[in-house]
Amino acid sequence: MIAELRSIPSSDVVKAPQAVPLLSVDGLKAYYKVKLFGIDREVRAVDDVSLKINRNEIYGLAGESSSGKTSLIKTIAGAIRPPLRVVEGSVRFAFKDGERDIYKLSPHELSAIRWSHLSYIMQGSMSVLNPVRRIKHAFADFALPHVSAKGADFTRLVERHLKRLHLDPAVLQAYPHELSGGMRQRVTIALATICSPEFIIADEPTTALDVIVQKGVLSMIREIQQEFGSSVLFVTHDMAVHANLTDRLGIMYAGRLVEEGRTRDVFKRPLHPYTAHLISSLPRIGDEAPKKGLEGSPPSLADPPPGCRFHPRCPLAIDICRREAPPMVEILPGHRTACHVAQADPARVRPVA
Amino acid sequence: MRPNLLEVEHVNKIFTRGGFVSRRVNHAVNDVSFSLAADKPEVFTIIGESGSGKTTLAGMILNSLPPTSGQIRFRGKDLREIRSRRARLEFMSHVQAIFQNPFDAFNPLKRIDRYLFSAAQRFTECRTSEKAAERADEALHKVGLSLAEVRGRYPHEMSGGQLQRVAIARALVSNPSLIVADEPVSMIDASLRMTVINLFKKLRDEFGVSIIYITHDLATAYYISDRLIIMQKGRVVEGGDARTVLAAPQHPYSIKLRQAVLSVDDAWRDSSFTGGMPAIAT
Repeated sequence: MIAELRSIPSSDVVKAPQAVPLLSVDGLKAYYKVKLFGIDREVRAVDDVSLKINRNEIYGLAGESSSGKTSLIKTIAGAIRPPLRVVEGSVRFAFKDGERDIYKLSPHELSAIRWSHLSYIMQGSMSVLNPVRRIKHAFADFALPHVSAKGADFTRLVERHLKRLHLDPAVLQAYPHELSGGMRQRVTIALATICSPEFIIADEPTTALDVIVQKGVLSMIREIQQEFGSSVLFVTHDMAVHANLTDRLGIMYAGRLVEEGRTRDVFKRPLHPYTAHLISSLPRIGDEAPKKGLEGSPPSLADPPPGCRFHPRCPLAIDICRREAPPMVEILPGHRTACHVAQADPARVRPVA
Repeated sequence: MRPNLLEVEHVNKIFTRGGFVSRRVNHAVNDVSFSLAADKPEVFTIIGESGSGKTTLAGMILNSLPPTSGQIRFRGKDLREIRSRRARLEFMSHVQAIFQNPFDAFNPLKRIDRYLFSAAQRFTECRTSEKAAERADEALHKVGLSLAEVRGRYPHEMSGGQLQRVAIARALVSNPSLIVADEPVSMIDASLRMTVINLFKKLRDEFGVSIIYITHDLATAYYISDRLIIMQKGRVVEGGDARTVLAAPQHPYSIKLRQAVLSVDDAWRDSSFTGGMPAIAT
């Protein structure tokens, strides 16, 4: 029953290593720079993140609140406003019709790739859809500037797209409040995918939904991804969703990417103590073993601890962790981690509990 | 024999909207009954999706909403009879609440220690500030904090997990016998969630506090509950021993709910990988 979310077992997905990834993020640093009472303060929301997302895959991004995951995806989408600024690094897309460096584009070029190449599914469907206008107006507002069809042709295009996603075109006449939460979220997904974008960013699209509805929405995202061959950057803090949906998984902690690998490898063999703890402390039906919480709390990004940002909470912390920030190193094929202990001896990383 | 701690008997709550012509009725809670024994503290879980009436039911147990019909008795006393200020304070010192988002529950401009002090002065015999501080410190120690860590701090200076623990400490100041916790961990980060969940276990086992845990998360419900009820559209569709019900649900709605839970174990069951999660299980 869960298999429908993941039709290809990830072990069978062989990606040609020489292929250019759709998205390459290199050494990206994006800080919030605030001047308060003449004192400069910076919050390092995204600190030296590098990642690549291939074509035709769902890349999951997990992390707690204020771990910088929303800042990261906003930076990737080129949707940042001061005080958030890109300090260093680059975000490059290799779209079918050419490469684009998000931070070298003019505002006009950026808006041209939005929606048609790069789109965004947001968390609160109620704040995306205008409550006093019918759904069809939302489609016109968002998508009309990006497609060539106008008037009746545009309506036909929208209806065809909705049918393809198994939605009744009658929703176009409805007001947002007349639809259930799950239906509204499906409509915002339809809205984001109408131009068959190559890259879709989904920011906690199912967090506000009930469990029964959540599964339907997740399989819809998987279906769309396979039909269009798009790549999806899927952000949620819910590890069970990552386990069931994503192909590869990146874990963020305090503004840094701490681990990345194929989702199954990350769950089966976590190489960062934080990930190991996250996975072992997940409560599961049928499992009565006591689970421990992690002591301490996530660091403030305005004043992060020196060295590895996880060291004050890490049971494995050694001297070097307090002084030097660990680099991201590939330890097993396709599996990177930023942990001094794991880099010395991967077998030492064990669940905290 | 002592009366039961809490008895909920055929309780209904009907909200009506609109006037004479366009009257709309919402039967939020429909004939719900259960009871909690006085001598056996337990974690009693109410599971339901949004709109199932679980929060309305909590409001009635907390005596902040009157039921349309039916009776709720706390230690044998009908909640309707608790009307005077003195009786309400007395009731509140025995039944306390914890809410979903600790950042909403605390006023951002008010220091959090003041919540603890005012709870101590209102609900206990601690009249002087020294006594109140002592009491607050004692409650904070039960949740793994201390007054020294909390004194003078504002809500934004704490993490969600810490703040939720302060909210629990505030509820514990009056030594209540029942805590109603409405989605207490859904806003808390994964790494801190289990700390709060384990705290409920500790309150039950070490301090004899009964807990009504309201949630939509079946996995944490399985982890801490003794008994549970599953609600759908105001009705209880299934109830009983938590492990039995969640392991083998009977009602079609409970089965659907159980199947919708995404589990990490099931994620790779249908692929070549079948060995569970050996790296973690050992």
